Amino acid sequence: MQFDPAFAIEILPRLLAAIWTTIWVSIAASLLAALMGLGWELLRRSGGVIGACVQFLIDAIRSIPILAQLYFLFFVLPTYGVTLSAYTVGIFSLALYYSSYLAEVFRAGIDSVGKGQFEAAKSLGLSRVITLTHVVLPQVFRQIAAPMGNYFVSLLKSTPYLGVLAVPEMLGAALEIASDTFRYAEPMIMLGILFLALALSIAWLVRRLELRMQRLYER
Amino acid sequence: MIGTMLSILQGLSVTLQVTCLGLLFALPFMFICGVAQYLATGFARLAVTALIEFWRSSPVIVLLFVFYYSLPAFGITLPAVLVGSMVLGLNAGGYASQAVRAALQGLAPGQVEAGRSLGFRRLPILLLIELPQALPIMMPSFINQFIQLLKGTSLVSLIMLTDMTFRAKEIAQVTYDPAGVYSGLLLSYLIVCYPITRLGRWVEGRVARSQGAAHAI
Repeated sequence: MQFDPAFAIEILPRLLAAIWTTIWVSIAASLLAALMGLGWELLRRSGGVIGACVQFLIDAIRSIPILAQLYFLFFVLPTYGVTLSAYTVGIFSLALYYSSYLAEVFRAGIDSVGKGQFEAAKSLGLSRVITLTHVVLPQVFRQIAAPMGNYFVSLLKSTPYLGVLAVPEMLGAALEIASDTFRYAEPMIMLGILFLALALSIAWLVRRLELRMQRLYER
Repeated sequence: MIGTMLSILQGLSVTLQVTCLGLLFALPFMFICGVAQYLATGFARLAVTALIEFWRSSPVIVLLFVFYYSLPAFGITLPAVLVGSMVLGLNAGGYASQAVRAALQGLAPGQVEAGRSLGFRRLPILLLIELPQALPIMMPSFINQFIQLLKGTSLVSLIMLTDMTFRAKEIAQVTYDPAGVYSGLLLSYLIVCYPITRLGRWVEGRVARSQGAAHAI
């Protein structure tokens, strides 16, 4: 079977239509991953048994491939009567996996906030929640914007895993075209080109954002 | 449960085989491209960067499907093991090359100047002065990429190689016990990868401390 450029161009609109699924899935999973990552880190900081358990959990999530976690959630939950759509399972799996990496990012960010900040907040009589949301986190986000952005790019690049569960994101769409037409080379090559373009442009956006934040805070 | 685990672990040989073959692609790629990006200037640097970015920026799962399904259309038929380990290896190697470059760039410029003033050529300076100092700094990143490579091998189950993930899928279809089988799969990966994850943390801590000590002097 030869590569057919005409066919490759013909299927382009179908692949491009799936780009929106890729994008919204990665935005939803990124937000959830950031929240969960912050949660892990706060629990870990509380120390004691909970802290040790969370530390183990984070390392365990990092030690298991996304694909295995995805299969586990997708095939095992229904046996306990919990039936979720492939979208929900996929978004949750990606969020869980990347939350374990983002917890480390949050750790570095919180560590970088000076001890005096916590002491000052305490002496002003601020509650722990207010200290976190109004004193610590604004300083943390400035520090971690760049590494967090990089993990969001990685997450975007992991969305094709959902195609394995027949979620119609770009890989899912390409596989569907392939099984409809029995031609694999064209959809896969177009998929590769589109994903490369998407990943490079998002990475470029993150880098610009990083530079802007740097300039903003240098003043 | 134990029986299931043992059947899943039969796939470990394929998992390890793809990991080792992947290293054969990753190690040369990361050192050659990392050093080339560090030393080259102008057009050559642009070409090296493009090559690295191609392997690093595309999602590894997409690269795997692209190469597995489209190479035959161009008359190239390779065994699935080779395609899988090449894609996983060069992807991990692309990431690791950035650690090589960053570690080399992070050395004090006085090191190269001292080498030159002692009459060394560029290659001996690189091999005898720069790389020995830069290697420890790269280690945490290498271990991280090694874990990514090892975990990434689960993807070869999608191109019909009988690794641990593929075995688990196969067994789950036969036994109708997804809970047991997939718990076994998680546990198998945990047994293989968790020690390496901990090792990575330990090395990271050591390197950070020795770097701190170096700065203190």
